[in-house]
Amino acid sequence: MTDDAPHKIAEMSVTHTRRPIWQRMSLVWLVPIIALAVSLFVAWQDYINRGTLIEISFDNAAGVIAEETVLKYRDVTVGRVEKISFAEGLSVVLLQVRVDNNVAPYLDDDAQFWVVRPNVTVRGVTGLDTVLSGVYIEGTWDDQLDVAQTAFVGVENAPVSRGGQRGTEITLRTRDGSALAEGAPILHKGIEVGFLEKPNLSFTGNEVLVTGFVRAPYDKRITANTRFWDISGFSVNLGASGVSLDVSSLASLIEGGVAFDTVVSGGEAIRDGHLFDMFDDEASARSSLFANPNRELLNMAVLFDRSVSGLSVGSEVQFQGVRVGEVTSLSAFVEETSAGQLVRLRANIGIEPDRLGLGEGTTVAQALSFIEDQVAQGLRARMITGNILSGSLSIELLIVQDAPAAAVQYSDSTYPILPATTSQITDVAATAEGVLDRISRLPVEELMTSTIDTLNSIERLANDDSLREAPVSLAALLDETRALIADEDLRAIPSDLRETVAGAQRLIDKDISTVATDLSKVVESLDALLQQADNAELIATLGRTLTRAETTIHNIETATNQLPAMTEQLNALIAKANALELQALVDEATGLIRSADALISSDATADLPASLAASLDELRAVLAEIREGGAVENVNAALASASAAARAIETSVEGLPALSERASRLVTQTEDVISSYSTRSRFGQDMSTTLRDIQTAADAVTSLARTIQRNPSSLLRGR
Amino acid sequence: MAIARSQTNLITAQEAGLVACTGCGSVHTQEPSKCTRCGSRLRSRDDQSLQKVWAFLIAGMIAYLPANIYPMLRTKTLFSYSEDTIVGGVIALFKYGNYGVAAVVFVASVLIPIGKFIAVGYLTISVQLRSQSHQHEKHRLYEVVEFIGRWSMIDVFVVAILSALVQLGGLATIKPGIAAVSFALSVVFTMLAAQSFDSRLIWDSDRT
Repeated sequence: MTDDAPHKIAEMSVTHTRRPIWQRMSLVWLVPIIALAVSLFVAWQDYINRGTLIEISFDNAAGVIAEETVLKYRDVTVGRVEKISFAEGLSVVLLQVRVDNNVAPYLDDDAQFWVVRPNVTVRGVTGLDTVLSGVYIEGTWDDQLDVAQTAFVGVENAPVSRGGQRGTEITLRTRDGSALAEGAPILHKGIEVGFLEKPNLSFTGNEVLVTGFVRAPYDKRITANTRFWDISGFSVNLGASGVSLDVSSLASLIEGGVAFDTVVSGGEAIRDGHLFDMFDDEASARSSLFANPNRELLNMAVLFDRSVSGLSVGSEVQFQGVRVGEVTSLSAFVEETSAGQLVRLRANIGIEPDRLGLGEGTTVAQALSFIEDQVAQGLRARMITGNILSGSLSIELLIVQDAPAAAVQYSDSTYPILPATTSQITDVAATAEGVLDRISRLPVEELMTSTIDTLNSIERLANDDSLREAPVSLAALLDETRALIADEDLRAIPSDLRETVAGAQRLIDKDISTVATDLSKVVESLDALLQQADNAELIATLGRTLTRAETTIHNIETATNQLPAMTEQLNALIAKANALELQALVDEATGLIRSADALISSDATADLPASLAASLDELRAVLAEIREGGAVENVNAALASASAAARAIETSVEGLPALSERASRLVTQTEDVISSYSTRSRFGQDMSTTLRDIQTAADAVTSLARTIQRNPSSLLRGR
Repeated sequence: MAIARSQTNLITAQEAGLVACTGCGSVHTQEPSKCTRCGSRLRSRDDQSLQKVWAFLIAGMIAYLPANIYPMLRTKTLFSYSEDTIVGGVIALFKYGNYGVAAVVFVASVLIPIGKFIAVGYLTISVQLRSQSHQHEKHRLYEVVEFIGRWSMIDVFVVAILSALVQLGGLATIKPGIAAVSFALSVVFTMLAAQSFDSRLIWDSDRT
């Protein structure tokens, strides 16, 4: 360098000064320091805010994408899936989700997670947005701070969320949960007021328990007296008014549903989880209102050798004709006997202890001991026809006299077994046939003929001259009577008597000593005479005559009694006759005759014939008056109208064959109808085909709904 | 060394007692502290040059880290939301078969910034170690780095343009992420670093 002097224009003094390091340090170093600080701050901030990592396990994670699928709570994004992996053994899929810090503390044991996918149900379409945006995970948890967790098990479907709503939880007990799906509505007077959760088997496995939730304020309508019933599907009623199809709602048709009502007031308020029985239909729910449905039942079993066809779960159990319980289940089992295997049928029955008549609060044990006592006295169970038309059977408990001794049998495997006796089952068809047979065998024609004959005879009788002459004969009879009374002998009696008395007087006057004997003779002869007079039977004859006349009148009355109209007219006639004071006159005559009798027995017998004659004259005058008064004409008119009535009856009777023909046609129709109930008839076929079609349609709808529910995307994908 | 100089026959302005103004290029013989033409400060060598280079380089590298970790683009369409980092975007483009675009983005966003860090770092270190080899190549490298620096913003431009254009309300929205800012800062810092480098120091390596 130094030898390049000629190029050197000027010597340059280059000074190298050593300055302290803080002076040599450029301010520019602040730049990376600030950058670093900012970066570290951002990183720290990010680390703080990145949230809590939780782990959710699912059976499958269809549609879930790491770093993309979000976790939502009430439709607000609160987290994001970070990683998808498998648990050990590939049993479940583990999703690691980064959850916002402000939410994480609430994730306790009540938190539930599920994957939201498009879901098409009868009650609507949900999650449709996920078709395009992809699925997301939805979570639900309450607002209570609890022990936070980081590991959760996801659920398959969205749980029926109460979403923080207030209301009352109830538990329904039913025999069959097939008609109920999770989320099925609870209706009250047709308004949806709640929903059912998933049906579960009870601990014993005999019943299905469903938890339901009724929203406030409708839950106030539920008391201990509330009854719930199943409104699933539809009901077809075949009745006198035709076929009626009853569908509650489309949702309940497919998903099932429950309705409730409280008819009787005054039930106690209920608390969460109150257990209710679910009835099959509204009618049975309402009819059970006065029974306590939640009482413990006395369960017993009855074994039958013959078919229990017609007996079904829910069939009545009657005790002395009163419903005391119902059939709870039916089953068959094989019994080893000496003769080989024997198939027997077992009906389990549930008896309500309260209904046995032992008073309120009867316990099951008390009821059982009561039944044991009764069995010792001959109580047996048998099947009887409950409904002739439907052929349904019920079980009757009755006391059988002279029954072979039996007792309630206990075994480990079944309920106590109640001894059974021969069943009394009336076959519907046979009964109906027999009834029709008897109807057709009824001698309707002969009956009509003989009725007509009878009426003819009555008419003839009414028209008979002798009957018309009855009053005349009566008059003649009275004439005869008068003649008899006016008989010389009778008239002679008083004079004889007088002579006798005079003779006696003379005798008394003649000789006292002979008087006694004479007197006694006289008395004797007097006695005899009087007896003779008695024996003349005058009085009796008169009395008999009058009785006979009365009987005749009575007979006429009796004869006419058989035709109401005639009777009425005759009654009117008799009333008229009564009004004519005939009875009074007759009474008077009787009185007169009686007084005549008295006269005869009295001393003033001398006046007897005269007064008798006078009275008879009077009687005759009365009879003449009666005749003149038109009484007989009245009777004749009455009888004529009676005959007219009889003719009218005859005319109407002539119409009877037509009536009977119509009746027989009706019977034939009834026969046809009844025969059409048999399955081979066209009506039955049509009906059963129609019902089967309806059933098939309903099945198809159900299966469609199930398919869609199970795999909603099939709707969208087309497969 | 003597051979090298004789071959190239080079002397420095300092050796010639001259100071060139970095602003307008006029050469001064005396030692005025200011350029007589443009008034900028005259310095034969910037003794704080390396400090500045290092500072800006480190700042650029610091800024480059979040630029790659955080999302560059936040794309929100009607049904989806996605965040793309630079490398993620490149991989996605490559996956979808857009090799050309993937290459351009990769080169502009990854290769060039990293190459710049390496180049500037290498130059600075070699000056500090007074390395005398490949001085011409080093100078050319420096010029390339300076030239290319202005094109490094291509990524930021794309994001800026997309963000401005794709604002369709709920239908689709693209927003720049933190990485865009970081990346821009990183580019700025590297450019500053390159500018702070006093290329005259390359030729001072054989002097004490």
